[in-house]
Amino acid sequence: MRALCWEGVGKLAVRDVPEPRIRAEGDIIVKVRASSVCGSDLHLINGFLPAMREGDILGHEFMGEVVETGPGVRRLAVGDRVVVGSVVACGGCWYCRTEQYSLCDNSNPQPVFTEKLWGHSPAGILGYSHAAGGYSGSHAEYIRVPFGDVGAFKVPDGVPDDSVVFASDAMPTGWMGADFCGLTGGEVVAVWGAGGVGQMAARAAQLLGAERVIVIDRLPERLGTAADRLGVETINYAETDVLEALREMTAGRGPDACIEAVGMESHDVGPAYAYDKAKQTARLQVDRPTSVRQAIMACRKGGTVSIVGVYAGLVDKFPLGAAMNKALVLRMGQMHAQRYIPMLLDRIAAGEIDPGYLATHPMPLEQGARGYEMFEKKEDGCLRSVLHPA
Amino acid sequence: MTSNGTRWALLGATTATAVGVGRLVARRRRRHQPDRQDGWYVVRRGITVDRPVDAVIGFWTDRERLDRALAEWATLEQLDENRWRCVAIDPAGGGTEWRAELTVDGPGRLSWRITDGPVPQEGHVDLVAAPQDRGTEIRAELRYRGGGPLRRALGLARGDEPDLGLRDALRRIKSLIETGQVVDTRHDPSGRSPAQEQATDKVRERLTTGGRA
Repeated sequence: MRALCWEGVGKLAVRDVPEPRIRAEGDIIVKVRASSVCGSDLHLINGFLPAMREGDILGHEFMGEVVETGPGVRRLAVGDRVVVGSVVACGGCWYCRTEQYSLCDNSNPQPVFTEKLWGHSPAGILGYSHAAGGYSGSHAEYIRVPFGDVGAFKVPDGVPDDSVVFASDAMPTGWMGADFCGLTGGEVVAVWGAGGVGQMAARAAQLLGAERVIVIDRLPERLGTAADRLGVETINYAETDVLEALREMTAGRGPDACIEAVGMESHDVGPAYAYDKAKQTARLQVDRPTSVRQAIMACRKGGTVSIVGVYAGLVDKFPLGAAMNKALVLRMGQMHAQRYIPMLLDRIAAGEIDPGYLATHPMPLEQGARGYEMFEKKEDGCLRSVLHPA
Repeated sequence: MTSNGTRWALLGATTATAVGVGRLVARRRRRHQPDRQDGWYVVRRGITVDRPVDAVIGFWTDRERLDRALAEWATLEQLDENRWRCVAIDPAGGGTEWRAELTVDGPGRLSWRITDGPVPQEGHVDLVAAPQDRGTEIRAELRYRGGGPLRRALGLARGDEPDLGLRDALRRIKSLIETGQVVDTRHDPSGRSPAQEQATDKVRERLTTGGRA
């Protein structure tokens, strides 16, 4: 079959690779119909996580059709149209039982790297390097999904592939970011990042009761889309002092909750950003935490900072003093896909969220490398390239 | 032209640094050496399984499930009510074979002794109810001998292999009890050549072996 493989830092190519086979009772094989690029792939492609091997198949946000099931699969049948959560969860450990699926104990068969780096190993993630289990990804014609009954969900009829694909990762990640904020109604929520996750977080915050949502980015077209589609307020940090603007917009209080949907390759303007970028390029720090710093500084006293952008290692100049003295609540984590997907599918079917507009650039799998390039450089207003293997 | 004084100062500073680093390394190594008792290395490892103690005991006594779990690397033969003989093949390959005798000492206690294998080894497992609603703690103590007396005295014994094996085994057992399988991504498709795949398998091996259990 054809698959988009990582060929070294910054290099991607479509290759002929063997087809996956059922290897355990709970496995399913999914024929991929739509597979989205994701901002977190950029950290892998650009070599910021050192656990990629040449030939690894990328891709973790996808939907498709079940074409084969292992003998232990009960909930799914061949022919089902499904969306699959990016994080692999076994369904049988304490974390899965308590719906903290991204912390699953048994789904990362190669846990030593993350145990050394983080103290414990979280769940495996499909197509997300050898630190996350070494699973083959979804930018391919077929993919093996372990624990199919736990991770794959039947999709309601009538919802297009390029819409439901985002229920795999961007939507549950955004939803979890808003869920962390503990909204009770009437809050002001600021969201850093107007990419797929940030926009879904903004929509989730609205649905969970936020009265005002303010989205921060530097790309006018993304901010424009967010304003048009979701009716949020926007700040362009390239033109405006974000802290000043947020203070003014909230009459001095600051946002009640701040959601960071950017991650370790955060951008900013000014000397502090140049310093961070230089350190990261020299591998003296793994992560560029610009937007997390800003979120902590902007957040109102006693508010919540919720981090769903991906960070991998150590950061520098983290304003712990601000967080401590303002008594902030910090919540963060990889999304618990399996907890949120059924609810999100219901909301898509009910028309409450329509993530289809994120798929600005549908294209054949063969153009995958170009799709990532457009996505990373934000060419042609690209929010997400979505690859179609067939 | 550097003066003699500068040279001596540099030499002094280098020596002090080297000694300091050496002490740090030695301390680290000591900290990572297993405990010793009467000539045995002793390691204790535990893992928490999200099932009540009875269910974990049930797993051990369900012959069919156990056979399936051990299929790849061991065979079990019952000797009498409480004793089994186990023949295990080193999962890393190399054709190493172990023979062990397993004894059930009580309701939550099992011990084993290697009767024929490269390293003298014995150990026991206790099953203890975990606090709150967290299931069962499997607590294992492993005693083994390894390396020569001089190497042991110098702390150079490569004593960590049985320990790594124990941690692997605990993780496998947990996964088998909780999910009925141990996930494996070794044969997932990739765009690698056979040579690249072999190198990657070595990396996988390193990322799979040991860890914190």
